[in-house]
Amino acid sequence: MKVSLFITCLCDIMSSDVGKDTVEILEKVGCEVDFPELQTCCGQPAYNSGYLKESKGSMKQMLRAFKDSEYVVGPSGSCVAMLHEYPHIFKGDPNWEEAAKDLADKSYELTQFLVDVMGITDVGSNFEGRVTYHPSCHMTRLLGVKDAPMTLLENVKGLEFVELPVKEDCCGFGGTFSVKNPVISEQMVEEKTEHVTETGAEYLVGGDMGCLMNIGGRLTRNGKPVKVLHIANILNYQ
Amino acid sequence: MSIRIGTNSFEHRVQEGIKNDFMRGAVSSAQGRFRSGRLKAAEELGNWEDWRTLGEEIRNHTMENLDFYLQQLSDQVSKRGGNVFFAETAEEANDYIQNVIKKKNGKKVVKSKSMVTEEIGLNEALEEAGSEVVETDLGEWILQLDEDPPSHIVTPALHKNKEQIRETFAAKKGYDKTDKPEELALFAREQLRKDFLSADIGITGCNFAVAESGAVTLVTNEGNARLVTSLPDTQISVMGMERLVPTWEDLEVLVSLLTRSAVGQKLTSYVTSLTGTRLEGEVDGPEEFHLVIVDNGRSKILGTEFQSALHCIRCAACINACPVYRHVGGHSYGSIYPGPIGAVLTPLLDGYDDHKELPYASTLCAACTEACPVKIPLHEHLIRHRQIIVERENKAPKAEKLAMKGFAKWGSSPAAYKMSTKMARTALKPWTKEEKIENGPGPMKAWTDVRDFPAPSKQSFRSWYKTRKKGDEA
Amino acid sequence: MSIQNREAFLNKLAENLGRSRRTEGVERPKWSVSPQWEVFKGATQDELVDVLEEQCKAIHTDFQKTSTADLENVLRETIERYEGNAIIAADDERNAEYQLDTYYQQLEAEGVEVHIWDAEKGKENQVFAERADVGITFSDATLAESGTVTLFNNKGNGRSISLLPKTYIAIIPKSTIVPRITQAARHIHEANQQGHEVSSCVSFITGPSNSADIEMNLIVGVHGPTKVTYIVVEDK
Repeated sequence: MKVSLFITCLCDIMSSDVGKDTVEILEKVGCEVDFPELQTCCGQPAYNSGYLKESKGSMKQMLRAFKDSEYVVGPSGSCVAMLHEYPHIFKGDPNWEEAAKDLADKSYELTQFLVDVMGITDVGSNFEGRVTYHPSCHMTRLLGVKDAPMTLLENVKGLEFVELPVKEDCCGFGGTFSVKNPVISEQMVEEKTEHVTETGAEYLVGGDMGCLMNIGGRLTRNGKPVKVLHIANILNYQ
Repeated sequence: MSIRIGTNSFEHRVQEGIKNDFMRGAVSSAQGRFRSGRLKAAEELGNWEDWRTLGEEIRNHTMENLDFYLQQLSDQVSKRGGNVFFAETAEEANDYIQNVIKKKNGKKVVKSKSMVTEEIGLNEALEEAGSEVVETDLGEWILQLDEDPPSHIVTPALHKNKEQIRETFAAKKGYDKTDKPEELALFAREQLRKDFLSADIGITGCNFAVAESGAVTLVTNEGNARLVTSLPDTQISVMGMERLVPTWEDLEVLVSLLTRSAVGQKLTSYVTSLTGTRLEGEVDGPEEFHLVIVDNGRSKILGTEFQSALHCIRCAACINACPVYRHVGGHSYGSIYPGPIGAVLTPLLDGYDDHKELPYASTLCAACTEACPVKIPLHEHLIRHRQIIVERENKAPKAEKLAMKGFAKWGSSPAAYKMSTKMARTALKPWTKEEKIENGPGPMKAWTDVRDFPAPSKQSFRSWYKTRKKGDEA
Repeated sequence: MSIQNREAFLNKLAENLGRSRRTEGVERPKWSVSPQWEVFKGATQDELVDVLEEQCKAIHTDFQKTSTADLENVLRETIERYEGNAIIAADDERNAEYQLDTYYQQLEAEGVEVHIWDAEKGKENQVFAERADVGITFSDATLAESGTVTLFNNKGNGRSISLLPKTYIAIIPKSTIVPRITQAARHIHEANQQGHEVSSCVSFITGPSNSADIEMNLIVGVHGPTKVTYIVVEDK
């Protein structure tokens, strides 16, 4: 299967290890992976802040970059959910409507692609440790991916899973919300980190770098020893 | 009161909310109970998504044919001896109601809980005109005695604790017992019973009017709406113009969605459908009935991309699901309609000038959209509001606009983007210690005031990928 | 009666909806789903009685099941439990059918004040209801799922009977039990379509009044009755 990696700007710049792990997982399960270099950002930071005009340039760039791809897979529920919004955003635009639909139809979040498209439930990884999982809002509510990450984590050898209390609650990231309303964001992320600490987990795992940066940053600020990992890190661990 | 409450800035209100430990504890535990109640009630049905779809279809059809159904409703009410007044503004509604009371020489008004009468400031208008107005919903009564606005559309006094309520009762009504909720409620029952028996005017809101027969349906647990509509000789019901259903068959679906979503009950203690005046020979119920149908800004929403906001059935499920509401409380929204639906509706009804922060008071986590029993895409409406604030209202901060201009250039240019992936780590180096930034520069400060920012990767993904590919080829 | 400001108001709505006024010809579409008809579909009457009994636990309502012959005894026990010295009951033809009229006479002979709603007496009815210990009505339609009795209030069955007294007893002929509010609503809808006037007050009553307005504590008994008993009776 031919897969084009949608790295997401956050992973590209901030967490290249997540990208590396994603590539290796996809190759391990037999995909032929390419990385279209024309890709930039999905446009979400501007779009969700109300800057439609300013977001469209990025979106068009993404449409160009993935024009010839068979499947587009990214290690982020939120960014992939954004790609799925493109058809609404470009509705009625003769130049881009088709491309937008095409991209939305072929784009998947990593775990969604592995489980739902490839039919894989065990990627053969080994990870010793007590792990809890934060299901990010856009991945679960907008993209509708709830079970796939759980299925994959269940089959990681050595992993001890512990449920995160009130896991469906937002961590307070919200893109620009985190800097536009830092006072509220602080309360939300504080509550989230309290729940994480309560579990006694050594690792907090998630599928979206934005949320993980937010929760992780609060954990280190509060001197909590919980380590934060992207699910790709776990799935590619031996 | 009107839709707007308080004069403090949004930031100030949020600070006050966050400092209020009791309120936050109360809201958090209430949300927990509401949420589990709602989920349980939905789960019991087994096909909740079908119910939501049905609710959405009914609301959509009603709104698309609102003129038709309002005409039918008013004809039916009139046929059953009721008067109907269509009020375009709050003032028109208040004037009409004042006149009815004056003509009846009414002295005492008992009211059951109604958000639309809060919205139009009816109580103040009636009091100015010399009427005694008594709120009879327990929560509303507490707030009325304490001159405090509601902070939740279903449980309006959620932000108050029993000690505060006891003090209010003692100061305003000479209460001398304990702060046990049962004793407080019994006192309210005794006090308010006197008001019910002596009132000459009853005023209610309207959960749903039924167009086909002219019935006004009230959904309560306490029974006060039944007293308000059974004892006084004149009844006035005030409804937002969107609060109706075509038939009884649609009514039952929306009532079922409302009670499950609002309080996790299959039905509340009292669902009461009242039609016109009392019939000949009947003792209970009004001899004179008025239905006031209020626009007050709603018609502006019809036909726009926000139309589905009018589908709201005021269940507060979105409020109970919202993590922002949990931390800041209802008063922070500065509107009698708080939470996600408040953030959507308030700017539509009252303009952006005083409410431009509300659409941003959300992480767009979509818990609201998921909870809504009639599938209003609340988080999408919030994004639309943001677009309007940026583009049409031109109310976005300058620095933000500049940053977004930069974003536009960066995101549409692969070269500029690639450069940034190379430069990020170096650019942030002066502030980086042990692979993290604790005191970020400029716009990053808002982030690092709250949490650490990680140092960018030593090598961007794309440059790693390039070297790897070269390695493969070699 | 008067309808004011209607034309301008509705014209504006039509205009904002981007079309001309609709004054006729609007049909409700067939909805794509109908989950409300799936609830307890095909349940027998006895199964619905069980559902009702179970739901009564959730709504703080006492549940009794009896035969017509034994109704009087169950009613007597309940009234005693409610310390009923002043009783108000609806003027309902079913009083005779279930021999409650003779029972009420007997109660009076025993010194209990019994008031059968009498339209002729006007507000006196309300005054009595206000000081009554127990209000008694029959249920016109009973909704198993929610544990709801439905009253089509009329001049013999004043709204006050189930509202003002301290406690309330609903007598539920077994045949009135339906799965849920869906069936009751359809009945009203169809009657309305056939030109029957809908009752001026349709009361769906689900247990005693309650409130959670003080710190979310459930308080049973606020403005309406504080205790409620349902008595399901095999039909005559």
